[in-house]
Amino acid sequence: MSTELVRVTIDERDVHVPKGTGIVETALAAGVEIPVFCYEPRLGAPVGACRMCLVEVEGMPKLQTGCTLTAQDGMVVKTARTSPKAASGQNATLEFILVNHPLDCPVCDKGGECPLQDLTFRYGPGNTRMSFEKLTFEKPIPISPTISLDRERCILCYRCTRFSESVSEDGQLVAANRGAMSVITTFEDLPYTGAFTGNVTELCPVGALLPTQYRFEGRPWEIVDVPTVCGLCPVGCNIHATVREGKVKRILSRNHPEIDEGWICDKGRFAYTHLRAGDRLSEPLLRARRRGLEPISWDAALDEAERLLRAARGRVVTVLSGSETVEQAYALGMLLRRGLGSHQAMLPEEVSGALDAYRLPLAAIRDADVVVVLGDVPVAERAPVVDLWIRSARRNGARILDDASDPAVAEASRVVLVWSGPGGRGGATVAKLAEKLGLAGREGCGAFYLPETPNGRGVADAWAACCDDESEPAGSIGLLVVSGDEAAADENVRALAEQADATIVISMFGGLAAGWADLVLPGTGYLERDGTFVNLEGRLQRLRRTVEPPCPDELEWIAQLAARFGVDVAPYAAAVFAEVSRRVYGGLAFGEVGERAPLRVYPDAEERVARPALPDREPKAGRGQIRLVAYKPLFSGAAVERVTELQFQRPQPELELSADDARRRKITTGDLVSVGSNGSAITLPARVNRRLRAGIARVALEHANGLAGVVEIEKATEAVSA
Amino acid sequence: MSSLYDEIQEVRARYPEGSRSAVLPALRLAQERDGWLSREALAEVADALEVTPAFCYSIATFYDMFHLEPVGRHTIDVCTNLPCALCGAQEVVEAFESELGIRAGETTPDGGVTLRAVECLGGCGYATVVAVDDRYRQQVRPETVPAIVEDVRG
Amino acid sequence: MAEQHKVLLAGADERDLTQLAEYQAVGGYRAVEKARAMTSDALIDELQKANLRGRGGAGFPMGRKASLIDRKSAKPKYLVVNADESEPGAFKDREVMARVPHRLIEGCLIAAHAIESTDVFIYIRGEYLTEYEILAAAVDEARDAGIFGDVRIVVHRGAGAYICGEETALLESLEGKRGQPRPRPPFPPIQGLYAAPTQINNVCTIATVPVILELGAEEFAKTGAPSSPGTAIFSVSGNVARPGNYELDLGTPMRELIYEHAGGIAAGRELKAVIPGGSSVPALTPDQIDVPLDYDSLGAIGTFFGAASLIVVDDRCCMVQLAIRSTKFYMHESCGKCTPCRVGTRWMVQILEAIENGTATHADLELLDSVGDNIMGKVLCALGEFAVYPVASYLHKWRDEFEAHIEHGGCPFGSSSSLDGILAPSDQHAHTPAGTEALV
Repeated sequence: MSTELVRVTIDERDVHVPKGTGIVETALAAGVEIPVFCYEPRLGAPVGACRMCLVEVEGMPKLQTGCTLTAQDGMVVKTARTSPKAASGQNATLEFILVNHPLDCPVCDKGGECPLQDLTFRYGPGNTRMSFEKLTFEKPIPISPTISLDRERCILCYRCTRFSESVSEDGQLVAANRGAMSVITTFEDLPYTGAFTGNVTELCPVGALLPTQYRFEGRPWEIVDVPTVCGLCPVGCNIHATVREGKVKRILSRNHPEIDEGWICDKGRFAYTHLRAGDRLSEPLLRARRRGLEPISWDAALDEAERLLRAARGRVVTVLSGSETVEQAYALGMLLRRGLGSHQAMLPEEVSGALDAYRLPLAAIRDADVVVVLGDVPVAERAPVVDLWIRSARRNGARILDDASDPAVAEASRVVLVWSGPGGRGGATVAKLAEKLGLAGREGCGAFYLPETPNGRGVADAWAACCDDESEPAGSIGLLVVSGDEAAADENVRALAEQADATIVISMFGGLAAGWADLVLPGTGYLERDGTFVNLEGRLQRLRRTVEPPCPDELEWIAQLAARFGVDVAPYAAAVFAEVSRRVYGGLAFGEVGERAPLRVYPDAEERVARPALPDREPKAGRGQIRLVAYKPLFSGAAVERVTELQFQRPQPELELSADDARRRKITTGDLVSVGSNGSAITLPARVNRRLRAGIARVALEHANGLAGVVEIEKATEAVSA
Repeated sequence: MSSLYDEIQEVRARYPEGSRSAVLPALRLAQERDGWLSREALAEVADALEVTPAFCYSIATFYDMFHLEPVGRHTIDVCTNLPCALCGAQEVVEAFESELGIRAGETTPDGGVTLRAVECLGGCGYATVVAVDDRYRQQVRPETVPAIVEDVRG
Repeated sequence: MAEQHKVLLAGADERDLTQLAEYQAVGGYRAVEKARAMTSDALIDELQKANLRGRGGAGFPMGRKASLIDRKSAKPKYLVVNADESEPGAFKDREVMARVPHRLIEGCLIAAHAIESTDVFIYIRGEYLTEYEILAAAVDEARDAGIFGDVRIVVHRGAGAYICGEETALLESLEGKRGQPRPRPPFPPIQGLYAAPTQINNVCTIATVPVILELGAEEFAKTGAPSSPGTAIFSVSGNVARPGNYELDLGTPMRELIYEHAGGIAAGRELKAVIPGGSSVPALTPDQIDVPLDYDSLGAIGTFFGAASLIVVDDRCCMVQLAIRSTKFYMHESCGKCTPCRVGTRWMVQILEAIENGTATHADLELLDSVGDNIMGKVLCALGEFAVYPVASYLHKWRDEFEAHIEHGGCPFGSSSSLDGILAPSDQHAHTPAGTEALV
């Protein structure tokens, strides 16, 4: 779009907009609504399919679709408000749209929040002239366990198929047939699978594509949409939690144009039912001899916690998940570091501050000339929405490379680096590369590190902020404090627990703590917390309590426990944040974090040094050897495991091989291959991925059986598969 | 490596890289091989074109010449659009129906012949036009139908 | 019998012009040499002077189209030949491809030179198998003879979709997508095939181009009708004694074509209607056929030159049945993209069937008219309007017959109409994807 302003007259009102602005937007600037169904600028070029936006343009004999026109100087547009011709066009379209639409609004989940209902209410005919049989279809049909399709309600605006084709680029949701018999469909009976499928339920302007979990769960006047931030990955998409009678019923996107553009992933959208999982804990549990874990009262639990903390005599090791809020991590730090002098902690991963010089909003990826993606883990598995930004960059003409030494990088003016995978040293590696390429201070240039955890940075900041003391590691572990479900699910953490005299686990789910914890304290989920997260851009965002947790909030009991050790911790997120903020966030007030948080820099913040989680250095694969990347899939983890309808999204047991490596070993897709290292081996079906670079093989962590690093791969022989 | 895959790569080379222009010729190649486009064939074409099977399905169902269900070893398509219709195409359809013992839209029980009424074949001056295995027979009259059926059945 | 004026088809009666040597023997491929000796600017000037109007239906001047191409664009320029002839009643492009393929190819080479293109696609309708084979063989022969220079010609087969004759739908289809029209702007000369500048012309238009170079634009412009120079191949079908293709000067009276060339109405019947441009245009009554066959004259009496294809209807035909069969075709061929066409054509069929079955009222005639009005001017491409034009003309010009259906409680023809019982593909059970069986 140019910066040249042009004058357009809409319904006799003059408005000045940049040349090339869409007429729908131009009209809006003039205070005039042009109704639309198929028009959705986020889906790419307008298609002019629904014909709802017909307007009269001076000098053009036929009605024009407002959505496909752009503002030109001197253009005179009349909408249905002032042009009888446009009004009759609009009425005609709406009548046609309603000809086959069933009158099942009373039992339609879209009812009350349905653009078709709203536009019919405002502009529609009062009666129908259609006295013949409407088109009828079997309904609703599941296009996946999470989405239902009602083809009778579908008005064929093609928003969903355009999303599938040009946003998520999964190519799975398509239109089939022609003319009146056109339908939306997946291939045969295959479910619509992928990281972003649920977005089509929000794009659909009628009740054709609906989230199955929400079916018959609430009417619009019974619900409240609470604005918060997703806590399941480091992107921190802005969301609304639809709440009815104290329960989360649905997750919707809440467009933050710099972060998510209104797209969220299916994990963020559909995993919320983990809050009501069968093994969700509401009471503390204490290990009783032979009988396993038994519920105890909170008073007894706090007494027991105090006893265990004192008994450890400072030899406490804390394991953090990276999914705690800044405030929880700070409070825990105050208790353990200030109260007990136990500074030893295992952070979920390394966090480097070096990236701060290369900060950009995620949206800047879209405008890049070159995006270099390093690290070998599929971006969508780590930080799904980042994958959409990279795709959008490619559609805009950017080159997507996997090698920063490509000459195109040096030639490009806007370069964005993305590190997705292990071995990135918390962003230090990619920051160093950015420095080498001279990206600092260059417009549109920046670097991102995609961490494994949603709030690793915030947790590290908070843990560091509460105390400056350090201590040498003690020889033995008196007490292991395991905070959060990710830590509790970690095999290495469980191994560590065996060395500890005692273990306290803070977890949402009984299943995660059973068998190895001495004391289990129920945890809360991100939808139940007030507090802040720092996302992968370094953006501080606000979580809101959308529903009450079934147990006391962590801050509440940590504050009580801290008091027993003479440490003053406020049980309120706002107060805790104020303390953290003084040291880390330049004194920003809790209330100023904002509902659509800007990307702030904190020049006055004290220098915080990254602390180590010390992953092993990446082994280098030699010529002809293959390095196995065992990645943590998006659809994994404690929450996903507890949502039945998301199980179909979990990765298949298969090994991704580059075309090069596959050819050399005469392996084709579907062949069984043996993957071995140091005497242990697994057998998996192979899938040749033409986009994977040679020397890398990929497998989902849950199918890796502990294998990683340099491996031998060969076509499985009878002996191996036997 | 299937020859269909190789043939499709050859066709792809005629069009700009990254375009999907080869999808119609590719689907046609698969249909010529199998007689129709099965689920497996669509997946095979998709793999060769580096697109999704759903995309191939979407394309195949848009165009009338692709068969998404098995058809007979031979196809007889009778044009019933206006010019042929004005000249007695319906009688030709009915002659085929009685000769073959099936209705238009059906396949003979032995899987030999599929009979269909189709839209304009572009032979309007030579009504009635009948495409037998995609080859036109023109000026077909009810009385010439038995000979055509005999010819098809070999 | 009146003489034809064979220009496009010249020589094809005497020789097998599908053979390169034969075509060269009648002067073939000399026009392209002449063209290549000219700059593209001069060539476009020449084409503009010739005032060759597009034979695809819209009649837009071909040279003017070429002048709109952004030849300075850094992108490749494409020439696309629309050989997706699918309009019911039209079968002339087919004859050109089958009998004078080299004239079409030569036209491609000249037009490509004009727009500085080296990439030509000929999109031929999928059903034209024999014609495809002839054309592809001719392309191979000419290429192998070194006539192409650096031009590449790809013959691309469609797969059965009328809508792909619409130029932007054709481009979509050629790009490997569903053949659904694009909104315009952007227009193809600016952003066409693969988003590059693209010239699209019909077979007969391009096959006429060598003739312009042979005669010179000035001479060419003097032929045919003043506003529509040149000849056209007219396809005549339906109830005439000698249906077929007739190449005549533009401006030839319609009556002469029907009664002299095509031998008049067959079997001694009476003329009832002529649909003059293929089935998509308003029909004429017998008293309207004293009209010169050119773009402007037909436009002046409320119909279109269209595809230069006359469907002649005799007095045995029920106009309601004609409307049903016509509308079922457009319903079947509607691409499904825009609402009024997708929904409106099916609704029209339902209303028309009610009229034919005798279950309709007089109000349904108004409804039919109104549904048609609601499609006109509101659709993305012309297909929806193609469904309405003929039906509206039947309804208005043969209103008595429609009313007789209502008063009679059914078809006044009984079963004697020439279209009685005619089956449409949309009537027979056909494939529907899993889970989409209409439960009507």
